[in-house]
Amino acid sequence: MSIVLKGLSKTFGQFPAVKKVELEIPTGDFVALLGPSGSGKTTLLRLIAGLEGPNSGEILFNGEDFTAKSVKERKVGFVFQHYALFKHMTIFDNIAFGLKVRPRKHRPSKEAINSKVEELLKLVQLEGLGERYPSQLSGGQRQRVALARALAVEPEVLLLDEPFGALDAKVRQELRGWLRELHQKLNITTVFVTHDQEEAMEMADTVVVMNNGRIEQTGSPENVYENPVTPFVYSFLGRVNEFRGNSLENYTPYGVDKPFSDKEVGYIRPHEIGLSRTFVNNSYPAEVSHVNKVGAAVRIELRRLDTDDLFEAELSAEKYNIMGGLKRGDQLFAEFQNLVIFNGNTLRNSEFELPPSNLVLRPEEVRS
Amino acid sequence: MKSELVSRQKKQSTASITKWVLIGSALSFLGIFILVPLIAVFTEALKKGVELYFLALTEPEALSAIKLTMITAAIAVPLNTLFGLIAAWAITKFEFKGKNMLITLIDIPFAVSPVIAGLVFVLLFGAQGVFGPLLAAYNIKIIFAVPGIVIATIFITFPFVVRELIPIMQEQGSEEELAALTLGASGWQMFRKVTLPNIKWGVLYGVILCNARAMGEFGAVSVVSGHIRGLTNTLPLHVEILYNEYNFTAAFACASLLAILALFTLFLKTIVEKAGG
Amino acid sequence: MKINNKKHRVLPGFGLSMGYTIIYLSLIVLIPVTILFLKASTMSLADFWETITNERVIASFKVTFLTSFIAALVNAVFGALIAWVLVRYDFFGKKVVDALVDLPFALPTAVAGIALTSIYAPNGWFGQYFELLGVKIAFTQWGIIVALTFIGFPFVVRSVQPVLQDMDFQYEEAARTLGANSIQTFLKIIFPAILPALLTGFALAFARALGEYGSVVFISGNMPMKTEIVPLLIITKLEQFDYAGAAAIASVMLLCSFFLLFAINYWQWRSAKKHQAG
Repeated sequence: MSIVLKGLSKTFGQFPAVKKVELEIPTGDFVALLGPSGSGKTTLLRLIAGLEGPNSGEILFNGEDFTAKSVKERKVGFVFQHYALFKHMTIFDNIAFGLKVRPRKHRPSKEAINSKVEELLKLVQLEGLGERYPSQLSGGQRQRVALARALAVEPEVLLLDEPFGALDAKVRQELRGWLRELHQKLNITTVFVTHDQEEAMEMADTVVVMNNGRIEQTGSPENVYENPVTPFVYSFLGRVNEFRGNSLENYTPYGVDKPFSDKEVGYIRPHEIGLSRTFVNNSYPAEVSHVNKVGAAVRIELRRLDTDDLFEAELSAEKYNIMGGLKRGDQLFAEFQNLVIFNGNTLRNSEFELPPSNLVLRPEEVRS
Repeated sequence: MKSELVSRQKKQSTASITKWVLIGSALSFLGIFILVPLIAVFTEALKKGVELYFLALTEPEALSAIKLTMITAAIAVPLNTLFGLIAAWAITKFEFKGKNMLITLIDIPFAVSPVIAGLVFVLLFGAQGVFGPLLAAYNIKIIFAVPGIVIATIFITFPFVVRELIPIMQEQGSEEELAALTLGASGWQMFRKVTLPNIKWGVLYGVILCNARAMGEFGAVSVVSGHIRGLTNTLPLHVEILYNEYNFTAAFACASLLAILALFTLFLKTIVEKAGG
Repeated sequence: MKINNKKHRVLPGFGLSMGYTIIYLSLIVLIPVTILFLKASTMSLADFWETITNERVIASFKVTFLTSFIAALVNAVFGALIAWVLVRYDFFGKKVVDALVDLPFALPTAVAGIALTSIYAPNGWFGQYFELLGVKIAFTQWGIIVALTFIGFPFVVRSVQPVLQDMDFQYEEAARTLGANSIQTFLKIIFPAILPALLTGFALAFARALGEYGSVVFISGNMPMKTEIVPLLIITKLEQFDYAGAAAIASVMLLCSFFLLFAINYWQWRSAKKHQAG
């Protein structure tokens, strides 16, 4: 089922939680609503489910207006953040609930319900636990029961609110892969909310980055990561170095002395920073303040000698070894080729028309 | 080193003395105010022998008082339980203006003197009351009759169930109900299969307290009953009449029944508290 | 746009449950109570004033408020003590004691009334010893205080107990590590923490005592000007068919009760909010 949101807004008292959101989700898509807490992502999910009513805007399912339809009529599968399992029912009864409450003429036979529940228990890898109560299961198991319960009614949309938020890191990692596989198997349009950018990147086909009730950017994980269109997306997705004001003064990579105002901020990801022991064009002298080896990557904290800014660079272990290792106090040259500059939400880079090869920075100038 | 040890021991012994002094005074207070009156009821009731005790309980007027007490509770408790469920639903599951005001209004019967509660219904339904002439025209008697007793009891026990349910339902939130709706349950199915099982202990607790008060109410019922023996006497009123006639043994015999009811109530309450967690 | 007009409510039954609540509340509580004030307002202001400033009425108000206040004060002290003992110490039979604290809630007031009277009457178990000392309890204001203490103390215990239970030992331990002795710790750490609950319990016990009838009427002796409480005076007026007079006195009494009720609810609501924020 496809979902289209048109100008959707929701206000709680005086607080605007979702502001004029436009979004199209094609059938079978696997979407992550990503944002910090208070960004409106959970509200947006609940609006889609009908658990909240919008103040204005429209919600279309398969092109049909569902805005005024009740939760029940929408037939969405919803997995709550804290699972909302029925405490007084066994796992079996929890999963069977949606089938048992159907009007008699649509209700499957007892045998059909039994076999459906067994099938779902198998799907979520909880065979044999049907007679237990929710309190007797681990967090990860409860999460899977909640999912099975939502899937029992064969929804055309699956909505998950922070599905792994309450689980520890290891279980979370396992469930991510598992849910991804499940989506491939069932191919239901799936939307999940998360504040964890890694989770969104790893699982989703489409990432919707939200902030302050608005959608900042929508796109594939690679696209959103590689080409952020706002400073927020830059700073929220992945590690990033920020340079503002003074630190940009000497930055004239395109050969044009274009003054930068205080409002302008330059972003560059650690792995985009080139490090070398000798001066290369358009590089700044910097001193190593800390080296942190994590697996295949090496994170190096540096201090720019001209402006005293601290920043982080990341090298592959291989590259790091070629450089012969680094230690605190080493002086290097850092190259900021892909610095992306925003003025407010406006990208400035397009204003520089010269190619980046015309480099003018000289070490003597920088040192003085 | 040694002096430190001694001073610590001294400290510990003062702490333990404080402890036992506090426990002792608390228990003495409870002994004087709870245990002694309880014992007094049963001692006085059995003073003249077991035979007289049971005679007092089985005389027709006592039996009719017991019957009326049970009828009253059997009407008032279900009505207030139903109200409690519905009002708690409205108050805890929705946001609306004036919620705190509504809760305070529901509390009014707790704040009103029982005598005033009785008076209010005399002013409404009594011979000189607002509906007095109307009721007289149709020959309906409410005051100094059973309906008055029932209405006054409903008033007095009005908030018991709802006050028990509001905090429980507030704490539980609405997620399970919402989950039921997303799974296609109707409103009634959601209430019966999800809400009710979750609050059953709270309901039971409220019902137990409501029942105890309904059976034991004295002031309000006293004002509206008219004290007609064998007709409009509840058990507490019967106790009063016997006492005022200096028939102490019979009075305490009936009182002992009510005391047993109270102890049983406390027992059930403790069990329900445990079961409900 | 259609949804703009109607507030969207996801859970069903708002209209039905709200409607029923308001109607039932109005029928059982609001309308009857309003009638009382209407009845009182049928009197001329002068008559009203004369009724409620009558010597006997003033005396009964004095008796009621004084005895209720003293009883609530006694309850505040012993209620807090009992709550403390039940929360902080372990002793044999604690669970039974804990359950029995609620007896005054469960025991019909008439039963409490006759039991206390029999104990404190001049020939009763306790009364005879007080008699030796030349003190009369039953049929004096002391008797009223005893009855009101009985019916009121669970309010204080049940208000303070949960607060003590939730109290973090850390604060006390912190105070101890900073060199406070046990009395200082109690006065500066524990007492301020339980004070709001203690005041709530006090107010609840006081409010209940003001309206109490069943337990008092047997032990008080009901002597006009001396041991006649307001509820009894209202009944007396009713028995004389002075409905307006009864309504006048009752309305003054009700206003006092309402004031207390609103104050208590506001106070609880506010401290709950504060609690959430903290």
